[in-house]
Amino acid sequence: MQFGIFSVGDVTMDPTTGRTPSERERIKAMVAIALKAEEVGLDVFATGEHHNPPFVPSSPTTMLGYIAARTERLILSTSTTLITTNDPVKIAEDFAMLQQLADGRVDLMMGRGNTGPVYPWFGQDIRQGINLAIENYALLHRLWREDVVDWEGRFRTPLQGFTSTPRPLDGVPPFVWHGSIRSPEIAEQAAYYGDGFFHNNIFWPADHTKRMVELYRERYAHYGHGTAEQAIVGLGGQVFMRKNSQDAVREFRPYFDNAPVYGHGPSLEDFTDQTPLTVGSPQQVIEKTLAFREYAGDYQRQLFLMDHAGLPLKTVLEQLDMLGEQVVPVLREEFAKNRPANVPDAPTHQSLLAAGEARKVAEEVSEEVDVA
Amino acid sequence: MKLVVVSAGLSVPSSTRLLADRLAAAVDRQTPVDIRVVELRDLAVEIAHNFTNGFPGRALAEALDAVTEADGLIVVTPVFSASYSGLFKSFFDVLDKDALAGKPVLIAATGGSARHSLVLDHALRPLFSYLRAVVVPTGVYAASEDWGAEGLPERIDRGAGELVRLMGAGTAPETAVVPEPDGSPPKSAGPDREARADGGSTRGGAVTRSHGFQVIPFEDQLAALDG
Repeated sequence: MQFGIFSVGDVTMDPTTGRTPSERERIKAMVAIALKAEEVGLDVFATGEHHNPPFVPSSPTTMLGYIAARTERLILSTSTTLITTNDPVKIAEDFAMLQQLADGRVDLMMGRGNTGPVYPWFGQDIRQGINLAIENYALLHRLWREDVVDWEGRFRTPLQGFTSTPRPLDGVPPFVWHGSIRSPEIAEQAAYYGDGFFHNNIFWPADHTKRMVELYRERYAHYGHGTAEQAIVGLGGQVFMRKNSQDAVREFRPYFDNAPVYGHGPSLEDFTDQTPLTVGSPQQVIEKTLAFREYAGDYQRQLFLMDHAGLPLKTVLEQLDMLGEQVVPVLREEFAKNRPANVPDAPTHQSLLAAGEARKVAEEVSEEVDVA
Repeated sequence: MKLVVVSAGLSVPSSTRLLADRLAAAVDRQTPVDIRVVELRDLAVEIAHNFTNGFPGRALAEALDAVTEADGLIVVTPVFSASYSGLFKSFFDVLDKDALAGKPVLIAATGGSARHSLVLDHALRPLFSYLRAVVVPTGVYAASEDWGAEGLPERIDRGAGELVRLMGAGTAPETAVVPEPDGSPPKSAGPDREARADGGSTRGGAVTRSHGFQVIPFEDQLAALDG
């Protein structure tokens, strides 16, 4: 099972000091956080993509390429890549380039984006959100698998004899997750391709997450990629920890109360009760995270949101130390218990490469048998 | 049959709730129904949090489900500033916009005097028309003076009778469509989608329901783009 962090990349005033970091500071902080993730033994760093203030990460592959050069093991991913408003041709090129540079340590998560004006800013119509996600991804999927593509669709100019370069590393396209919170069409899309499904459950009650994940699992099996239990599921999480849970609550409350997303709304207590947010001791984080399995089944990737709402970099790095030292090792051990042997790990470049070669050998053998 | 009564009265006791109960009792006299009353006063905080959080709390989620699954609906609001109350509107703002499609609804309102009685036809009726509910012809408005005058019981019975006839016709369709966070229409797979829901697929796919979601086979989603 993979553990990692995902960043929204918001530039938010620290409500306890009144200080707002510059864009440069925030961008450098995101890099420092990614490097820390590798240092403390996490597996994945994912960045969001936004095209409006107060967010900085508009150019994910630039940032991830820089991080790739400074890390050894960390898988670089996105949360999410906008499949609706980006040109799928450019996504194919950018992420193949990143994948080559990072020696395969790359996957990505498709998302639609829910900021209305971004669509017209990029020449699209938000009412076509689902259709854009479906058509653009169908093209992206082909661009990474066919050397020469002829294509015509509704939303983009046609392609004749187009080759997306560079080709995916070793002929293996980056693994793709599809992120969605409440659109069954996207769960269906992920299931159809046998891709991963990431439910960003951090603002949602467990019951809703359960139904979305069950739908994806059922459809994954329907399309013959494996059993429902073998479907590739990722979940979000959101934590703030201190040794004593009262200290965690006291320190995090002003950030919660003023956070751009949920500030000035529900109480911290209601929110921790109804969503995956945990504010407390490492042990409480462990207990709550382990419970995700009860409603989502054995899953493959757990990403935590750690660096938002104006939390200072120093605090975030302390949080990552605790996450890496005290939480994730226990989660690895506990999640491994009673995990059926046929539940796969999240695909990596190596595992996809090996699977592809095994498939090739099997095909050659069957061809030889046919000839004989 | 399930009758859900949404009452937006704020005081306890409330004349809005009184009217709601009289309407529900009138329906029950004409045909036995399971009555569930949703008091918006008790949900006020969760409704406000639904706007800031994006999801309903437990009690509100249960009330929204009850409304969605009802065979008929009675909605009663006090008149505030020449319209329905903000709380009343807010409840229907957080309800899935397809939840009332085809559902029989009896509209009612209370006020201090008869001067606001057209609120039924100028405010409530357009709201429920927008939500594609089937609003019964008679709306019931009760001013303070009506509680001591003739005519209110007859209007209550007439409205209730109209609601009962529509509920009997079984016009409430399957609902529970998942809304899009981006405000895009959840039904975007093409005009032939309803036909396919009836089993008239030409591509071998079929719209099915699973875990409370409507599932359109991916091939159909893809093919709809070629049209």
